[in-house]
Amino acid sequence: MAQKIVIDPITRIEGHLKVEVEIEGGKVTNAHASGTMARGLEVLLKGKDPRDATYVTERVCGVCAGSHGWVSSVAVENAQGAKLPQAARVLRNLILGAMWLHDHPLHFYHLSALDYLDVTAVAHYQGKDPKLLAVKDKIVKLVQSGDTSPLLPRYKPDEFSVNDPDLVTLAVSHYIKALEMQAKAKKMSAIFSGKQPHQSSIIAGGVTMLPDITQIEQFRTLLAEQADFVENIYWKDVATFGTGPLLPLARAGIGGGYGHYLTYGGFPLAGKGELFFPAGVIFDNQFGNVQPVDQAKITEAVKYSWYTPACGTKNPVQGDTVFDLNKPEAYSFIKAPRYDGKPMEVGPLARMLVLKPAPFMDIVTKYGIKPGAVARHAARAYETVLLAKAMPGWLDELEGYIKQGKTRIHDTEHWDPPATGAGIGMIEAPRGALGHWVEIANHKIANYQMVVPTTWNHSPRDENGQPGPLEQALIGVPVPDPENPNNIVRVVRSYDPCLACAIHIIQPESNRVLEFRIG
Amino acid sequence: MDFQSRLERKGLNRREFLKAVAAATAALGLPAIYEPRIAEAVEKAAAKPPVIWLEGQDCTGCTESVLASFDPGPAEIVLDLLSVRYHETIMAASGTVAESWLEDNIKQGGYLLVVEGSIPTADDRFLTIGGRPFRQIVQEAAAKAGAIVAVGACACYGGIPAAGPTGAKGVQDVVKNKPVINLPGCPVKPTWVLGTVLQYLVFKKVPQLDSNKRPVAYFGTLLHDNCPRRGHFEQSQFLTDWNDPSQKEYCLLLKGCKGPKTYTDCAQSWWNDGVNFCINASSPCAGCTQPEFYAAGPLDHRAGFAPLYVRTDTMSLPGVGGVSPGTVGKVIAGAAVVGAGVHLIGNAATGRLKQEKEDKQDKPGKKPEKGRHN
Repeated sequence: MAQKIVIDPITRIEGHLKVEVEIEGGKVTNAHASGTMARGLEVLLKGKDPRDATYVTERVCGVCAGSHGWVSSVAVENAQGAKLPQAARVLRNLILGAMWLHDHPLHFYHLSALDYLDVTAVAHYQGKDPKLLAVKDKIVKLVQSGDTSPLLPRYKPDEFSVNDPDLVTLAVSHYIKALEMQAKAKKMSAIFSGKQPHQSSIIAGGVTMLPDITQIEQFRTLLAEQADFVENIYWKDVATFGTGPLLPLARAGIGGGYGHYLTYGGFPLAGKGELFFPAGVIFDNQFGNVQPVDQAKITEAVKYSWYTPACGTKNPVQGDTVFDLNKPEAYSFIKAPRYDGKPMEVGPLARMLVLKPAPFMDIVTKYGIKPGAVARHAARAYETVLLAKAMPGWLDELEGYIKQGKTRIHDTEHWDPPATGAGIGMIEAPRGALGHWVEIANHKIANYQMVVPTTWNHSPRDENGQPGPLEQALIGVPVPDPENPNNIVRVVRSYDPCLACAIHIIQPESNRVLEFRIG
Repeated sequence: MDFQSRLERKGLNRREFLKAVAAATAALGLPAIYEPRIAEAVEKAAAKPPVIWLEGQDCTGCTESVLASFDPGPAEIVLDLLSVRYHETIMAASGTVAESWLEDNIKQGGYLLVVEGSIPTADDRFLTIGGRPFRQIVQEAAAKAGAIVAVGACACYGGIPAAGPTGAKGVQDVVKNKPVINLPGCPVKPTWVLGTVLQYLVFKKVPQLDSNKRPVAYFGTLLHDNCPRRGHFEQSQFLTDWNDPSQKEYCLLLKGCKGPKTYTDCAQSWWNDGVNFCINASSPCAGCTQPEFYAAGPLDHRAGFAPLYVRTDTMSLPGVGGVSPGTVGKVIAGAAVVGAGVHLIGNAATGRLKQEKEDKQDKPGKKPEKGRHN
């Protein structure tokens, strides 16, 4: 007889998520993931000035701040016929790049690490490092004072929890260091963008601000500090854990799922169509066979979502969706996007499997690591290193444009919204493939839609009953103690879910075939 | 047990404690001379104030913003200054462990309740946590809270979601019998949250609020009156093309700036360790600290600030009824002063402004080196 457990709320993620699993023989046999909050941002955009979409959708998420504003401006530029100046393109990459440096370590240390670390092991630290002794002191005194929030309570540690005092104390010291670094990364992004979260520089047609030399140098100094942290602390920690105490989890591929991966490609470079992270599709873990992305193959189903069924399964440009909170079979506000009918994993692992950078692939091969929760952390950390190494070059490129007098940052000629138009923006957010679709009529937004990373990863079942990628990844996950389902939350969090992004309602009325352009 | 021992048991040595107090004093907008008094008040409290932080229809941007704080930094806030009992984004616990922990802490009462995100009122099913309507959770937590702070535009007035179909409302609309301190903004600024929280800890009083229930200390001044581009406004120099270097510092009114209708200290106290703010980035103010931020929804009668990038008729040009710099003084002077803490903050805020204006006159066109705490 299967035992059912419900985890609601899943904490240390963005937004509101409920996961229900059935357990039999100590393993998950069935899983349902539910998004439990809705705001309806697309609906309120209807009838608004198209340029407002950048500002409003920026607020879909305050963690991957900038990503939605970025992709929205690409979609609106596409619809308005605007051409992005090179300096603006580089500035957007730098504003967003800084936020990726913020996002990924934050996910590892502050959202995930507590699933793997037995923090109380710090009390047994016997080393002599004064910094680590200070950490020990801090934690021990929290425990003594009986006020251990927010580190406790928690699920009881299990067989995979790391309890080596040296390792845990070092990791906790990095948890504290990473708190400082994520604030500095936001500061870095704000130098070029006004503020973070919710930067204000990215607008349809470009950016509002060309930094001066002082600001560029200020950014460069902070970037050097971030790069050092990312390479020598974050990546090193992930590699140490992944090939050390967590290797059994990594080799078992706990939380692997279907093996279908999708990435739209991200960070456009100077060459036409050239992307820092290439686009691609992989099916059934066939990593050698990367296929090009065709947006026409994207469909969204709503059979198990709280929306009216009238829409059927359609491409986002044709969908027609309104709330139906009384639908008996529905269990989520998230829709079920599919690519060529298949549930796809998006995010760092998808990007790294498409790009296949040698040092990452070497580790995966050498240690026999299978796609799963640990591999996701490793891919996320490794791509952060790649980005941190590339960004100084982007700063040089920006300085080059300024020196050459190529200081255009905005396509002012195409600033006013056209009478009619339609556009698509498809880029990579830290959590994966992100797409916005906009349609303009009478100079106003007639329809606005988003298909975001967590919609892909945490979607419910589709019209054929196929579970979403997370739901599938949970099948077979060992849960020896249902009171303390550590492995379930490890798998869920390895995707870095963002529910605020995932949930949105759509009210489109269009069968138009749109020009497809990757920004 | 003496205070020093109690402090040490909480993992804070005297030096760290005084550093935190200095940072807290600055965050409160008070001059350093008040540090001993704050230290004394914190010492008397001798326990970190318990905080329950609930997230509703939010984007976690306000949490992210508080975590972007400098002096005190996020580690000091989370581990040294506050006892964060419940915060879904950072707490270790999940599921039933989290739910029962919340229940236990609500039973104890006396905590500071912080709410981020709006509350759906059109139908409870638009947001449930642990199967329960978020509205009900907020009301239960509010009933036993020592003080209630709404952070960000959404928790204060419904924010952008208020324009949508879920009947998104602020805390003050669902908690009727208790005072709510509103700290709007999209997101909230960390200094506003820390200053308000520490003020509650030290003075145990609700600060002086304006008619929108915002602390006068932070929201008593009109952005337009303190805008670094105000001189260009007076000379009718308006930015029309972001590519034109000669317009780089021009007034953003024609690009839709809502500064003339927006009360905030953004111009005096910049964001992210004082490196920048919207207008300095040549981006028009969107009015995110105002109740009319963005747009009215089907359940709301407010006019709203949409469209954002187009000059709206209500934003006057110079000489046609623009708001005078004198407004600032009047707003603060006109506020009835309640309690010593409020009085201090009021004075500090006025002093800050005066200093700011003098600085500006000394160095025309030069931006403040550090936007924060000046």
